[in-house]
Amino acid sequence: MDGRLLSDTFVELADTMVVGFDVIEFLHVLTDRSARLLDAAAAGLLLADPRGELRVVAASSERARLLELFQIQHDQGPCLDCFRSGQPVVVTDLSAAAGRWPRFAAAAGEAGFAAVQALPMRLRTQTIGALNLFRASTGSFDQADTRVGQALADVATISLLNERSLRRSETLNEQLQAALNSRVAIEQAKGKLAERLGVDMDEAFEVLRKHARASNRRLSELALAFVDGSEKLPGLSAGQPPESPRRGEKPGRPH
Amino acid sequence: MSADRSASRMVAIWELVAEQAARRQARASVVDVCAAVVATATVSGAALTAVTPAGGVHLICATDEISERLADIELTLGEGPRADAVAFGGPVLTSDLADGDAVAQWPVFAAAAREAGAAAVFAFPLQVGAIRAGVLQMYRRQPGPLGASALGDALLFADTATLMLLDAAAEGAAAGTGPGGQPIEIGVHRAEIDQATGMLTEQLVTGVEQAFARLRAYAYVHDRPLSDVARDIVERRLRLLPDDEMPRSGAR
Repeated sequence: MDGRLLSDTFVELADTMVVGFDVIEFLHVLTDRSARLLDAAAAGLLLADPRGELRVVAASSERARLLELFQIQHDQGPCLDCFRSGQPVVVTDLSAAAGRWPRFAAAAGEAGFAAVQALPMRLRTQTIGALNLFRASTGSFDQADTRVGQALADVATISLLNERSLRRSETLNEQLQAALNSRVAIEQAKGKLAERLGVDMDEAFEVLRKHARASNRRLSELALAFVDGSEKLPGLSAGQPPESPRRGEKPGRPH
Repeated sequence: MSADRSASRMVAIWELVAEQAARRQARASVVDVCAAVVATATVSGAALTAVTPAGGVHLICATDEISERLADIELTLGEGPRADAVAFGGPVLTSDLADGDAVAQWPVFAAAAREAGAAAVFAFPLQVGAIRAGVLQMYRRQPGPLGASALGDALLFADTATLMLLDAAAEGAAAGTGPGGQPIEIGVHRAEIDQATGMLTEQLVTGVEQAFARLRAYAYVHDRPLSDVARDIVERRLRLLPDDEMPRSGAR
């Protein structure tokens, strides 16, 4: 592992945590950097909703998000096993795992992933989610990398306990629900922006994040304001005709 | 923990609400959600406040006098878990109003609420991203946290109440709901639904509440799963226009 990249990542995460802390933005940065740092093609983060389902809270790419969702929908896969057992799950060759997770192994192969590592997010005796790293080629996961990966998963857990008093046992559930709702608001904002600019969802997310950073605002706060109309994002709408029937046919969008 | 379990819990929640409506011999509404909460979620009472488009707060229903009194106190004081839940964007769970944190946070409300007979209060904002419909609040006469399963149920009751309020606000009494007032889709949360809602605010030149109502109404009228319609919109195979047919209850 690149030691410089590791220290840069922790400095960046610490910065994100201090300045206008936003849980979703933080988890997104963490997921994205985990993939880069640990030599994974993609990474995803799942959190348990007390309603009784797992939710994809951050993913380094749309491909990773869909694969996480696939596991939830089909109720099988290494990330679910990791979440249920509270133990790391490592699969060095997904093509050999077809017996254990037939549907997942096939879907992962189709998405171009050959190996996966799932690391639990633990809080005391409770498992609250999992950080998942997908690799494009087969092979074992380095032990030092795994320790860093687990440390990143632990940092993700701690980030959910920020903001409100740690002494209150309800903090985690309060934070989790607020984070899940922020995620929904961000998806709504991505949709609105994608439609306005004629871009895909990943591009819309990047535009939104850049604007939040440039204006020094929390991503979820900006997303809420943009969706409810109190923030117009005037610079972004300039030159975009409000009605253009072919606008949606833009080539190159994923999926 | 799986999509199936989540879906079956949601169905169970709906049945509890429908049961309350049947008892009243009326169409299911948020009144039945509050009643079902008290019958199920190990709380002493529940109340629901809705937000008007102009930003006003109205008490829609309360299961008992203490619940009503708590809502009155909060709306009079302008401080308390209801307002905090809205500002925070997540539930505010206070298992003991006598606890130092609660007293520090709401010096006047905490004392007044205890005097009214509440020992614990739990406020759930009724929201879908940027959509904010109101707050579902519960109280307990004895201090103590909601257990994991009661919390899960409370969140599902809040989801239910949110959809009911949005449908009522959209004026299409039938919009987005089945004949029994059931949601047309349950189970795994899909980002496509949220993305499509955002896209529709632009396509329809409307607010996010109306965009969400239109999305659900379209799926209902065309008898298609909400997530399929949402995916068609996100993948730009389907566009809705401002003057598309809109189901109106009793209008056709």
